[in-house]
Amino acid sequence: MLSIKNLKASVEGKEILKGLNLEVKAGEIHAIMGPNGSGKSTLASVLAGREDYEITEGEVSFDGKDLLDLSPEDRAREGLFLAFQYPVEIPGVSNINFLKTAVNEVRAYRNLAPLEGKEFLSTLKDRQKLLEFDASLANRSLNEGFSGGEKKRNEILQLAMLEPKLAILDETDSGLDIDALRIVSQGVNKLRSENNAFIVITHYQRLLEHIVPDYVHVLYKGKIVKSGTKELALELEEKGYDWLKESQAELA
Amino acid sequence: MNTQITSSLYDQCIATYNTEQKEGTLAAIRKQAFTSFQKNGFPSTKVEDWKYTNLKPFIQDNLQLVYGETSTALTKEIIESALIPGLDAYIVVLVNGQLQKTLSHQINEKGFTLLPILEATELPAFQQHFGKYTDVTKHHLTAVNTALFKDGLFVHLTKSQVVEKPIHIIHVSTAKTDFFTQPRYLYVVEENARLKVVETYITTTQVKAVVNQLTEVFVGKSANFQQYNIQTGDANAHFIQHTEVFQETTSVYNNYKFSMPGISFLRNNLHIALDGEHIESHMYGLYLSGGAQLVDNHTIVDHRKPNCQSNEHYKGVMQDASTGVFNGKIFVQEDAQKTNAFQQNNNLILGDKASVNSKPQLEIFADDVKCSHGSTIGQFNNEALFYLKTRGIGDEKAKTLLVQAFAFDVTDKIPDESIQDFVNGLIEEGLK
Amino acid sequence: MSTDLEILNQVEAEEYKYGFTTDIDMEILPKGLSEDTIRFISSKKNEPEWLLEWRLKAFRQFEKMELPSWQNFEMPEFDFQDISYYAAPKKKTQYKSLDEVDPELLATFEKLGIPLTEQKMLAGVAVDAVFDSVSVATTFKENLKELGIIFCSFGEAVQEHPELVKQYLGTVVPSTDNIFAALNAAVFSDGSFVYIPKGVRCPMELSTYFRINAQNTGQFERTLIIADESSYVSYLEGCTAPMRDENQMHAAVVELIAMQDAEIKYSTVQNWYPGDKDGKGGIYNFVTKRGICKGDRSKISWTQVETGSSITWKYPSVILKGDRSEGEFYSVAVTKNKQIADTGTKIYHIGKDTRSRIISKGISAGNGQNSYRGLVQVGPNAAHARNFTQCDSLLIGDRCGAHTFPYIESKNNTAMVEHEATTSKIGEDQIFYLNQRGIDTEKAVALIVNGYCKEVLNQLPMEFAVEAQKLLAISLEGSVG
Repeated sequence: MLSIKNLKASVEGKEILKGLNLEVKAGEIHAIMGPNGSGKSTLASVLAGREDYEITEGEVSFDGKDLLDLSPEDRAREGLFLAFQYPVEIPGVSNINFLKTAVNEVRAYRNLAPLEGKEFLSTLKDRQKLLEFDASLANRSLNEGFSGGEKKRNEILQLAMLEPKLAILDETDSGLDIDALRIVSQGVNKLRSENNAFIVITHYQRLLEHIVPDYVHVLYKGKIVKSGTKELALELEEKGYDWLKESQAELA
Repeated sequence: MNTQITSSLYDQCIATYNTEQKEGTLAAIRKQAFTSFQKNGFPSTKVEDWKYTNLKPFIQDNLQLVYGETSTALTKEIIESALIPGLDAYIVVLVNGQLQKTLSHQINEKGFTLLPILEATELPAFQQHFGKYTDVTKHHLTAVNTALFKDGLFVHLTKSQVVEKPIHIIHVSTAKTDFFTQPRYLYVVEENARLKVVETYITTTQVKAVVNQLTEVFVGKSANFQQYNIQTGDANAHFIQHTEVFQETTSVYNNYKFSMPGISFLRNNLHIALDGEHIESHMYGLYLSGGAQLVDNHTIVDHRKPNCQSNEHYKGVMQDASTGVFNGKIFVQEDAQKTNAFQQNNNLILGDKASVNSKPQLEIFADDVKCSHGSTIGQFNNEALFYLKTRGIGDEKAKTLLVQAFAFDVTDKIPDESIQDFVNGLIEEGLK
Repeated sequence: MSTDLEILNQVEAEEYKYGFTTDIDMEILPKGLSEDTIRFISSKKNEPEWLLEWRLKAFRQFEKMELPSWQNFEMPEFDFQDISYYAAPKKKTQYKSLDEVDPELLATFEKLGIPLTEQKMLAGVAVDAVFDSVSVATTFKENLKELGIIFCSFGEAVQEHPELVKQYLGTVVPSTDNIFAALNAAVFSDGSFVYIPKGVRCPMELSTYFRINAQNTGQFERTLIIADESSYVSYLEGCTAPMRDENQMHAAVVELIAMQDAEIKYSTVQNWYPGDKDGKGGIYNFVTKRGICKGDRSKISWTQVETGSSITWKYPSVILKGDRSEGEFYSVAVTKNKQIADTGTKIYHIGKDTRSRIISKGISAGNGQNSYRGLVQVGPNAAHARNFTQCDSLLIGDRCGAHTFPYIESKNNTAMVEHEATTSKIGEDQIFYLNQRGIDTEKAVALIVNGYCKEVLNQLPMEFAVEAQKLLAISLEGSVG
């Protein structure tokens, strides 16, 4: 589904990703871990199409298409979803209106008829129930005045509404208490299927207890330096990242 | 310092006045106004209040002072196209400033009067209020309007009467030759009465129009008056709209002003005098400009007595090579202790050649007050734009959403949902 | 807090304490203004021909100009013929060393707290003292010379460094700028000149102290500061005048030029005689100050504490020409009795990525009228320009006024401009709280006002900040009932 080959990206002339390779297939969950500044969030931003980053080398294909060639909105319409680490607040844009616009833009791209008011609202209600997200979204602006937990849950709700093929969760666990973490993870588990895939970017192993990954990758200095199964996450939790840094230093 | 523009229009106005009959109720008022206009003429950009707004380019040409031949007969379809969908209102149609009874609703509300202004001159309410709130020596264009106006309306609601349905005044222009017109309006909303008026504009022709409108508003004790103005039109239109509001104790006045791309020159003066205690005044404005349009909003809020509050929020979005001007003055006079006055002007510059001039002013002569103003000029929040795009929302839609969000502080204040939807629709259209 | 209180304790119920006169033998030109006046001043100062011509040209322009009318007060009637345009201590105009300076004059500066004798000098401050029309002493000159820094009276600069004066004079404030600038260009008698060479960081504060002493005279000094590439200078200006019943005119011009990577910090504590409580007498302070950030990444910062003068009319401005250049304006203006202040700044964003910051605190008491007038202009090429303006007014008493007239103009769709202004009265609950802690109302007001102005006062060099705090306290005495 997603194939990243030798991806190099820099921001303001500073190279952050230095030749990254990753293959993600439908039905898989990949976890990407790594110390601060290793390039985890950069990877998420580059895949979603943030303009601040310059791709200097490499290629990314998404379902056979050149992802890097697409605008951010077309990437989303193709089925790539980024759950932001810091979802932006947009005062004045109502949650409902925003979500309806997004759903129908994506549907139009896929040649589906738009969801009309009633249909849309009932779908929304279903998804909210599924995700145990009972916050009233009507009469509220997008993410404005939401608590940290609510913002993250709102991201997952959008994921549920837009039904992407590939979802990237960028430190979705940051700022969540244990209950919120459980609810968010349960939501993700309910949404996973044979046909979609997830990339879970996280600092800590605890999220991976709830969202069990098929593969765990360690990102360090802009490259994936180690890949393994979920046991690798436990090992990292125990030993920290230093042993990897050392082995990297030896390699260099 | 040369503060006057010499123009053929000036000479025409002088000549017209001189040939007119000078008798009747209005003669003295007109004479005073004429003397003032004769002396001051049209303001040049040397006059501080016209610093950013140059009348010169379009008052040079030959313009008809009266409507010439009108073109098409107005059909029902044209009027229907001017309605606000979903708004249950009394429709009043003015064609070239003339009230069209056949196209308008009959309004049978107790205590309510609506008449062509020159038919109202003998009414006590007219005589009590007409010309009382406008200083013709101070404002060049109110002087020429007062000296020469022919058209317009007198709207009167007597004590304690309430008209629930809004009055929707549709101004239609059908003139065949370039013209200069000066409609005049007087609204008298007496003690405890409640009234809502919505004004919109359509045109069926392509002639050059220069409109110098003057509106006087009296809001009596504890009365409530809501005034909406939705300014749309084409590039032939040049519009100067001066509104003088006088408020008595415990009254409420709300003004909603929406200026959309089209009209090439738009100047609004909104002056409110808070002449009693515990008055509330709210001014909400949105200007969305495009092309080479100039939109200029000048407001004055004059707090004369204690314990009042005023709240002003104007938002502007400038596209293409358009120019936005905002000048808001708040006066708090010596007596006006315990005043709360708030003023905010926010601008988005979207066009490469667009510009904004913002001049918020406070003049405070009392000490126990809370007054603030703010003005910002900026662009879209790129982070928000990116977020919307990652949700599959295309560039144009995303921008519309963000402009509507930017305008939300203003549009959200419209109590009537159908007007709110109508304005949001105009925003979407105006961004295309 | 304790230092604030110490300061307040020093502040006894004193009126304008700088209001004494100095009895010194003066050479005063008879009243009147004509080409002859200008020729007299020019020859008295032994000026080259080009400078006389420049003055005469300015004078001819002056004669054609009108008084401005846009300010928020009624412009007083000026009789430009009723002023003497030159007054100087008689002894000598050129002092070779401080020993030659009239002891009476030295005593005056001692009284003002500006000791000129080296051993008493404030640590690290070099002073140029201007008494009426002429500079009487410039200290630390030799030390600065070693670094290549020129710090001297304007007259001396004309003699010693004519090429620099000729190159930069009138390039930031042209003599046609306004009528007061034109008048100054025609009749300026002295002032200060500073040149900081490339790469030099001036190791001490440079300071000029202006004093009007003689009766019926005006003071027209001119300051020119040039900071060459990658240099830095902090410059201070202070001023006082005796108490006199008639109004005296002060029309100065200051020009600042910052080359690439250079920084100029200019601070003023203005305490000219403000007139008495009925508005009689006082200085008319009509000053034109402007700086240009000529080179990339240069910076100009104006800080002013304006407590004196019966009328203050000044708008220290910055032209941000170089890319990434920065301009700042920090201001405290106090008006009481019948004082009028119409002050603010103009910032012109011309270069890319230019930044500016304006913090203005107006305090009105008694019948004082305080206006902030400012312009922030963003040109079409000033991509990504940023401005932030905060403009607050504090009202003490119910007969004063506070006014705000900002002009914000942007022609660039990547620029961000933010302006905020508030007006409020001094907090009664705050005063009560301090009263309850045993602080009387007058001191409470001074404390609160000092806190209110902290952001601006913090910009001043230490010695000046202390003086400014004292001044604020004195200025507001008797303003609460």
